[in-house]
Amino acid sequence: MILSRALRIAIVVAMLGLVVTLALAFRRDPHDIRTGTVGKPAPAFTADRLDGAGRLSLSDYTGKVVVMNFFASWCLPCTQENPALVRVYERYRGSDVVMLGVVYQESRDSALSYVKRMGISWPAITDDDGRVALSYGVFGPPETFFIGPDGVIAGRHIGPIDETTLITGIEALRREATR
Amino acid sequence: MRTRVVIAAALLAIAAALVLAARPHEATAEERVDRITTELRCPVCQGLSVKDSPSETARQMRNLVAERVREGKTDAEIEAEFRAAYGDWVLLSPPVASWSGLVWLAPLAVIGAGFILATARVRGGTPARAAEPTAAQVAALRERVARDEAADG
Repeated sequence: MILSRALRIAIVVAMLGLVVTLALAFRRDPHDIRTGTVGKPAPAFTADRLDGAGRLSLSDYTGKVVVMNFFASWCLPCTQENPALVRVYERYRGSDVVMLGVVYQESRDSALSYVKRMGISWPAITDDDGRVALSYGVFGPPETFFIGPDGVIAGRHIGPIDETTLITGIEALRREATR
Repeated sequence: MRTRVVIAAALLAIAAALVLAARPHEATAEERVDRITTELRCPVCQGLSVKDSPSETARQMRNLVAERVREGKTDAEIEAEFRAAYGDWVLLSPPVASWSGLVWLAPLAVIGAGFILATARVRGGTPARAAEPTAAQVAALRERVARDEAADG
């Protein structure tokens, strides 16, 4: 009798645990995957600029808010999110916010042609051996990382990003920096 | 006496062969790359290891593993680099000492709980005895048997 009562309690506790787990899981934004690099220092890199104007390092942007976007011309969601990126770039142009594109698994020529066609005027780097993408734990483009002035990855967005999400992420980091 | 010596020699030879076969041998760089990439999950595939995947991402990961092996990094250091980027998820067999280790522990816990439950049931409870048939039920049964026998002739 005592055992069956304990069993009943155990079943209720297990079901409650399952409900809480599911409730917490469904509350999460599937675009905001907090695996791996979020909350850790952004992996350092030095890579060739896509426009051929030398090399570029992440450390060049120390003290700034960096929005790093992995893209490719063969990726349809990248073309869908591009207008939002262009608007946000224009909004913060010349400020403490910089945008940086990373070419994902694509030849330089086609990436360069895409950048020109889509009006991307922020710097972009090539990643021919995939080292930058692998060090950031990228699954596939588009993916956008928000890096704070302290060099720590504050957020990550998987999939096409919109203007509101970009501005919210940037402003949160700017507020944090002025504190 | 001679038979014993032969048997002892044979046993020694078997033991020596086993020791030789079981001794750890230095894995080649290629074997290490294969072993590590077998453990790593391809991030753009469905349940495929980096070793088995033909994707570009897996190829880049294989190249990175090979480079780290050449640099003299240990298997644990190389796996840690991928775990830092992708989380424990990148390992096809999640480590026991992590949250994903629950995958291993949960079945054991369930089996243990079931065993405890079954043991307690066997020790604690006495099986319920079947109720004795009433006199009316016995009479009805006898009457039915007699009827069936009469029908059979």
